[in-house]
Amino acid sequence: MRQEVVFRMGIPVQNASGHPVGTLEKLVFLETEKKISEIVVRDLSGLKRVPLQWVRELTEHVLVLDHPGNLDDLPVFDISQFEEVPIWFYPPDCRIEVGSLLTLKPCDERLLGESEAMSRRDFMAKSTALVATLIGISLVIPIGGYVLAAARTKLSDHWVTLPVKLEQLPMDEPVSHTFNAVSVSGWMRVPVVRTVWLIRHSGAEDPFSSSEDQILGLDSPLEKSRSNPYLTVLSPICPHLGCSPQWFSGKKLFICPCHHSIYEMNGKRIGGPAPRPMDQLPVLVGKDGSISILYEEFQVGIPQKIRLS
Amino acid sequence: MKNRYAENHENRLMKYLDERIRLRALLGFLLEEPMPGGARWAYVFGSMVLFTLVLQFVTGVMLAFYYGGTPDHAWDSVNYIDHLKNGNLDVGRLIRGFHYWGASIMVVLVGVHLLQVFLWGAYKRPREIMWLVGVILLALTMTAAFTGYLLPWDERAYWGTIVGTNMIGLVPVVGPLLKSAIRGGTGLGALTLSHFFAIHTMMLPSLFILFVVFHLVIFRRVGPAGPFRGTSATLEAQKEYFYPRQVLMDALAMLAVFVLIAGLAVMFPPGLEAMANPSNSSYSPTPAWYFDWIFELLKMIRPEILGVIGLPAVIGLVLVLLPFVDKRSERSPFRRPVSVLTTLVVLGGILGLSIAAEAGFKKLVPLNPASVQRGKIVFEHSGCMGCHTVMGKGGHIGPDLSEEGLIGHSEHWLEVQFTDSSAHFPGSPMPPFTFLTPEQRRDLAQYVSSLGRTGWPDTTH
Ligand code: FES
Repeated sequence: MRQEVVFRMGIPVQNASGHPVGTLEKLVFLETEKKISEIVVRDLSGLKRVPLQWVRELTEHVLVLDHPGNLDDLPVFDISQFEEVPIWFYPPDCRIEVGSLLTLKPCDERLLGESEAMSRRDFMAKSTALVATLIGISLVIPIGGYVLAAARTKLSDHWVTLPVKLEQLPMDEPVSHTFNAVSVSGWMRVPVVRTVWLIRHSGAEDPFSSSEDQILGLDSPLEKSRSNPYLTVLSPICPHLGCSPQWFSGKKLFICPCHHSIYEMNGKRIGGPAPRPMDQLPVLVGKDGSISILYEEFQVGIPQKIRLS
Repeated sequence: MKNRYAENHENRLMKYLDERIRLRALLGFLLEEPMPGGARWAYVFGSMVLFTLVLQFVTGVMLAFYYGGTPDHAWDSVNYIDHLKNGNLDVGRLIRGFHYWGASIMVVLVGVHLLQVFLWGAYKRPREIMWLVGVILLALTMTAAFTGYLLPWDERAYWGTIVGTNMIGLVPVVGPLLKSAIRGGTGLGALTLSHFFAIHTMMLPSLFILFVVFHLVIFRRVGPAGPFRGTSATLEAQKEYFYPRQVLMDALAMLAVFVLIAGLAVMFPPGLEAMANPSNSSYSPTPAWYFDWIFELLKMIRPEILGVIGLPAVIGLVLVLLPFVDKRSERSPFRRPVSVLTTLVVLGGILGLSIAAEAGFKKLVPLNPASVQRGKIVFEHSGCMGCHTVMGKGGHIGPDLSEEGLIGHSEHWLEVQFTDSSAHFPGSPMPPFTFLTPEQRRDLAQYVSSLGRTGWPDTTH
């Protein structure tokens, strides 16, 4: 194993003949090569740069040079040309006291002077930030659009003709009608079975022929224009939290099993926590009594009737 | 010098963070990499590769948002992505274009980066391990390209992967087992797709992160190699720190890559051929362009098995052993004529082989969308549907034309076919459609050439 080299600052430096020539002050570091190249020795005339190759012996108490005379002809150490090396660049195989390791300053700062170099650094920092912002924005826009695209795609309305005719339905008695539909999620189309409440009326004079949604004006223009005095279609989904209200023919009421919201035949809420009446769905009744409906779903838990995409 | 970065960014946030996470020291460590001889444009390639990798990560995650990794949904989901719009912006096609072209550009940049490191002699002592990690990253890039190719599950993807995995199966002893392990069975199917999807989206990104970090840690331990000319004293004297000039150069280079990828994505959106059809025996697959030269070389080496094993083995061995065999410390390319000339010959060979391969592929007719549209009307109104099926609709007397555009007939061949089928198929029962005007014939040829290549239904609403 290689012996760890210890550089202790302040120890005496002797020449080849054993005469003291000064004290060890600092070390010069070739930062790009991660190695020490020179030592800085303080003699009577000031600081001198001594090549590392001249060091013959190094102990914790003395540093002996290979050089016979004094250090007069060696270059003077000019502190303004150098800067301290941060700790994370200290070479791995020698121990150096903190603050004594120096490296040559980058040419930029020496040629231009510190303040000018600083403003140039600043300019470059800002240009970098600008470039990064440019790339960032031009990436975030398509990505944001992409993530939201599926959420914002409007599904085309899908009218379904039910396999039942108006005259087959009982008068003033809600019927839970099941039909086959297709549920769409992105690229996937899945056949599903859906249910709606069909309530047949004798006509406009029937007290239940207009749904509570119509009376309160909660309907969208589409739902308003597609309603029929002979037939009301109610969504099977409870507007409270989405359970399925059941029809109790004895009481003539819809009661939701989950939190006991109670509705009348036209969807009017007469009890329980539901924030709005049962949702009426658009319907078209043909001349031959055929029934076409548009199955919609609405946000639950709020008083407004807001359609989900 | 205490910390040069900190001085002109003195603000309260910085102070706050510095007190808590020693941010200044961290930034100092990250940004004050000394660069022998100063910042240079020649050093931007590594950063460019890293940028494309990050771009692949981001766009890849985006694609995975809408992708369905099973054979019955993969193609539909990619077609869905292709049609995804937000307002007037073709966001889906754009993101897929980024990922598609990002892959190609990344392969190119990895090659350029490797070449630059080679020419600069930067793989020599003490950077051998860094080079080895780089070779691993190259292998990961190629695996990512190969596995990503299958995911759209169109004809090109399917048949390209059939050929690619069959080649693995040729390896003696372990080959057949390896091939079925990769495919998840003897044939190419649902398990192959999920294997490739898992490798492409889970295994490779983690390995990429691991080895990129390793690559960079080593880089910071040994430092940049610097120019191949100059004494250590002058290089030290001309040194600059990574921040700010090199950072700016890298950022500008990344911007250039980004503009290039975005431009390609907008101008040449990636195509989607007909859904993979295992019974389509007439399909002739072509590799991704960066594998062209290997494809061409493999055709020349006989017996085939020699090429299939030998070629990757030779490439791998040369790359792995290079820093350990070439131990001379001379870095200048001008004093390493043998290495540099060999490289030039190899590069020339790769270029020549790629051109030869491309020339050998059947050219598909370039499409003009307006003409294709007119041709579709001609097709539907001239009685073609009486005998031919296109996408499930039509008669069954003549052949199914759903993927006719992938066969690679020329427009002239098709026009002759319309009027005189027996010229190609003696005794053909197809009536001569001589009543078509020359323009109608041209449009019809365009439409038939487009079949199986484009014009898929928009399923986004
Ligand atoms: S869900 Fe129906 S009352 Fe709560």
